[in-house]
Amino acid sequence: MRGYILKRILKSCISIFIVVSIVIAMVFTMIPRNKVLESDTSYRKLTGDTRTSFMYSKFEELGYLDYVRLSDMCTNDSDNYKACMVNGSDENLKVISTYEDRGYKIEFQRNGNAFAYHEYNVVELIFHFWKRLIVLDGPNAIQDPNNPDLERRVYIGKDFNDVPAIMCSGCKHKYLVYFDGSFPFIHQNWLSLNFGTSYPTKAGANVLDVIGQGQGSQVVVDTVFPTGVTVASAFDLHTATYKSSIDHLDQNKFDDHYADCYSNYESPSMINTSYIFGIISLILAYAIGIPAGIYMSRKKDKLGDKIGVVFINLITAMPSLALIFFVRSIVVNFGIPDKFPLLGFKDIRSYISPLIILTLLSMPGLMTWIRRYMLDQSNSDYVKFAKAKGLSQREIFSKHILKNAIIPIVNGIPGSIILSIGGAFITESAFAIPGMGKMLPDSITKMNNNMIICLTFIFSSLAIFSVLLGDLLMVVVDPRIQLSAKKGGK
Amino acid sequence: MINNPILSVKNLEVKFRVRDRVLTAIRNISLDFEEHKVVAIVGESGSGKSVFTKTFTGMLDINGEVTQGEIWFEGRNLMEIKDDKGWEEIRGKKIATVFQDPMTSLNPVRTIGYQISEVIMKHQGKSKEEAKKEALELMEKVGIKDPERRYDEYPFQYSGGMRQRIVIAIALACHPKILICDEPTTALDVTIQAQIIRLIKDLAQEYHFTTIYITHDLGVVANVADYVAVMYAGQIIEFGTVDEIFYDSKHPYTWGLLSSLPQLGLKGEELFAIRGTPPSLFEQVKGDAFAPRSNYSMKIDFIKEPPIFNVTDTHWAKTWLLDPRAPKVEPPLVIKTLHQRMLDMTKKGGVYGER
Repeated sequence: MRGYILKRILKSCISIFIVVSIVIAMVFTMIPRNKVLESDTSYRKLTGDTRTSFMYSKFEELGYLDYVRLSDMCTNDSDNYKACMVNGSDENLKVISTYEDRGYKIEFQRNGNAFAYHEYNVVELIFHFWKRLIVLDGPNAIQDPNNPDLERRVYIGKDFNDVPAIMCSGCKHKYLVYFDGSFPFIHQNWLSLNFGTSYPTKAGANVLDVIGQGQGSQVVVDTVFPTGVTVASAFDLHTATYKSSIDHLDQNKFDDHYADCYSNYESPSMINTSYIFGIISLILAYAIGIPAGIYMSRKKDKLGDKIGVVFINLITAMPSLALIFFVRSIVVNFGIPDKFPLLGFKDIRSYISPLIILTLLSMPGLMTWIRRYMLDQSNSDYVKFAKAKGLSQREIFSKHILKNAIIPIVNGIPGSIILSIGGAFITESAFAIPGMGKMLPDSITKMNNNMIICLTFIFSSLAIFSVLLGDLLMVVVDPRIQLSAKKGGK
Repeated sequence: MINNPILSVKNLEVKFRVRDRVLTAIRNISLDFEEHKVVAIVGESGSGKSVFTKTFTGMLDINGEVTQGEIWFEGRNLMEIKDDKGWEEIRGKKIATVFQDPMTSLNPVRTIGYQISEVIMKHQGKSKEEAKKEALELMEKVGIKDPERRYDEYPFQYSGGMRQRIVIAIALACHPKILICDEPTTALDVTIQAQIIRLIKDLAQEYHFTTIYITHDLGVVANVADYVAVMYAGQIIEFGTVDEIFYDSKHPYTWGLLSSLPQLGLKGEELFAIRGTPPSLFEQVKGDAFAPRSNYSMKIDFIKEPPIFNVTDTHWAKTWLLDPRAPKVEPPLVIKTLHQRMLDMTKKGGVYGER
């Protein structure tokens, strides 16, 4: 069992690696990179050498190439910086030729200054991505020349709420593991994923922060800071990270260098928004769809079943956009907004119509399958025998058929739950819900490379691991299935 | 004929609706079952053996219907039961059934223990612990070793023979008055067949139930049955004690059936086969249903259905051959020498049927 799971996890990781690597190769080699910059307004305003310099430094930032300015070349590879900086001098030419030898391309700016760049090939691109991806925080993470006496240790301390937490000095984060009141209650900062920065949309922000950070306005509350002062602030003190240059304002509030915090926002992040909608609609769909399907199978060919079949066909046949507008035009009459932001996150009425639609959309499939599985099972011999045992129809359905019919449904549950994180593109667009649904298409049209790769990584990992989770869940409900790694053979 | 029958079927007729046509599966059967005896119902596929016994527990398929007749059991006519609720009092509790295929008769995702104790809890109203205790005893009785450990196992962890033992245990869980065994050994291999048959026989002694066997296997019949009913085209055409049927049968179809027994075939001679096929039950059967296939048919066989002719107190047959006006016919040689050959066989190796 354990061997099997480890093997499956390993295989899953390999699949993710392959998928993401292919996407990296595609994104970096097939998207014309000059177009990436086109939507950047500051780039469009620039001319001449500054434009060239900006372009190459941006490409370096985006991971296309390694860009070296003349000044950098001279600092790194010349003993005589001043002579090196004079165009045409021996020292200058010597440094340029060393870079040429290393496989760099040399070009000249209009002012005659040389610069070098090295374009990464596909293997290097993929290597760089995976190398940078996982960031582990440790007590030696911060190397600050201005603060050589920084204490370096990991310890169990108490946070500002007097709740135990694993804390660190010398790490990037002050709190490595901590508890708080928000799901999933235990949080960690020790391991983080670095997908690079978002560009050109939300330029400069960390990709994960874009989809994972709260939205809307900041929540400002009276906060007691480590020094004891109480200031109205939106800081989430658990997210404190190292700040090398602390000013008086910081010193007033913090007793150490950990003064950089994320803020609390009043609305959930994109990923959480989609998740809230996905989970609730999924629970509703299962809670209504499964009993409905069971009912239909029990009343096969009777009125209830026929109504159900009509419903299933209607919803399946109707284009989802038509359904959205249909439902919306009805519920608007009851004072329910037709766009999510009208009343926002705080008002429960904002959620009603998107949830109705998402539930309606996922119900027919569930109903069809559970009905079909139930009917399949009710023709089997053990049902006949159960009847001959004298069990009532109700007992046979609830104690025997259901347990068999639910097995394939259970297999799909983790998949639906985890994938609901992906959001529902059409519904979210129609209601202007700030969720994940439109992130992938948006980032593709805007050529936000890092975002595309990050989303690919997230979606493919979720998909692959939800399949694994579904299989593991099968073991719980079906005693005939036992996981074991194949022995022998190839 | 039979005193104090436990189950008495009178003029039973069952019809099925198959694709807008009506099929008469059971054509006017009357039969009494004597208490504590073993009755074997034999006949070829499609003769209505299973349908006949299914009516005792109201388990006909949804397109089937008892159009006429009465089934008297414990002083009440079972045909007056109209819904499943009423049948639940009979099924499992009074009349239990063991089906052909033990591989599929048990719910694959419920433990063996659950499936046995479920019935005990339902019909005897016992608590879970009491039911478990009784289930363990039953498992022991049907020959499951180490029942305590195997109680929580699933059907897939049992072999075919073991599963059939469990099915029998479930059937007997409520001490039924009648046990219907619908080809209980067909899906099992020969050695296991003999074990299961012996088991049912022993349990019948202990639990005092009446057994109704449905089988193709005349070997089983010879071994366990007290009475034999031979069915053909929805009718019982001959009924008698096992000796009467084997050694003094009167109906040409019974002769054909016995002659075609592979075990009793004469060495060097071609095995006998009844020619032709049974009549279509979609149409009204005229006269003796077996007449077109019989070597002994007379003119009247094609015109009028034969009545029941009593041979002895326990033996009757539906054939015009027994009419005093009919010419005297001799049964085929194979039938006449059957007794001697069976004796020879049993002498050679053990009891017949326990090969």
